[in-house]
Amino acid sequence: MTRKKAGNPATGPASADEQALLDAVKHRDRRAFTQLYHLYHARLHGYLRRVLANAAIAEEVLDDVMLVVWKDARKFRGDAAISSWIFGIAYRKAMTAARKEGRYQSLLDRSADADTMPAASSQDDGLIRAALQALSPDHRQVVELTYYCGFSYREIAEIAECPVNTVKTRMFHARRRLKFLLPALDGTDKENKREQL
Amino acid sequence: MSSSEVISHEDARELLPWLVNESLADEERDLVNQHARNCVICRRELEELERLHESIATVGDASPVPAPDLRRINARIDAMMAKEHRGRLLISRLREIVGSPLRLAFAMQTALLVVLGAALFWPQAEQAEFTTLTVPEQLPDGQYIRVVFDPNLDSSEWSGLLDGMSLTIVDGPSDRGVATLRIAASASGTNPDTVITNLLSNPGVLFAVPVRIEQQ
Repeated sequence: MTRKKAGNPATGPASADEQALLDAVKHRDRRAFTQLYHLYHARLHGYLRRVLANAAIAEEVLDDVMLVVWKDARKFRGDAAISSWIFGIAYRKAMTAARKEGRYQSLLDRSADADTMPAASSQDDGLIRAALQALSPDHRQVVELTYYCGFSYREIAEIAECPVNTVKTRMFHARRRLKFLLPALDGTDKENKREQL
Repeated sequence: MSSSEVISHEDARELLPWLVNESLADEERDLVNQHARNCVICRRELEELERLHESIATVGDASPVPAPDLRRINARIDAMMAKEHRGRLLISRLREIVGSPLRLAFAMQTALLVVLGAALFWPQAEQAEFTTLTVPEQLPDGQYIRVVFDPNLDSSEWSGLLDGMSLTIVDGPSDRGVATLRIAASASGTNPDTVITNLLSNPGVLFAVPVRIEQQ
């Protein structure tokens, strides 16, 4: 069985230098912190931009995340991967930011932010965005962390600080909902499903 | 989990999303793959998940990632470190002051001595000068009584009041209405307390006390 690999844009390649950088950050090395920031900026930005309403908030949350990394570097004991630790911080910050806004929606569906949003490349793109937005925050996070960030279910459990079975259950419900919302996946009538979104 | 094990349909189905994103451990991946080869439902779901994965992973990829800008976060870190530095400075100064128990004890003793010294040598407020009516002034030998008459009485009235009591005014009345009376020598055997009782029985006398002359 062959499968097409979409890659893991969020987790990226494991860097042997990450641990060394974090160790230096623990000793308040600003240069090491700058390197770590650059290393994670694109990954965190991509993830936060997908789960938060607009670019400004995503940038703000990204800075908040990295500030926690600076402050709490000494608390990291290496029980989890560094990426899981940093994305765990991002996960919680994103959830808090989304709750503060009183909504949890895709950046791509906000007309107010149309100038900062990437244009939908196709009708299916819009449908997928709408479907993702229709998920609950918890379910949406598991889907994004799996399909966009490429984390394993164990890593997601660490990030979300929940049991592994909870991750699987959330994914199960998210899949069922997406299956219903995305007709292209199972070949059923697209127009009928779109009306129900 | 060894490769000889068989995974249940439910377990394999749960793990399909992570088979698709290639994050399963080798043994887990082999088990799920093995199951999917023989399970029509899982195989079909796997195809759907691969399409979903590709769609979700690439949706919004056109969004440009801005260049990292560390100015804001650097400013926040600077502020945070300055605050930490102030805190550390304060703590180190406190440690310098009370570095060791011996030094702390010495500092406390010194402070105590300063307080005691200040209390000892602090200029005392001058005591107010006052005398009681029982304190004798320069009086010749004899028995004396100090009285305060009703201010409404004139001098003839209180002179008349004393006439029948063998009392002579030797001083006063002062500004405060105090007069010193001498018990006549002819009445030397008279007890001053009896005289005072008689005086106080008159409404014109407000107050009367014997003058105590201490024996030299």
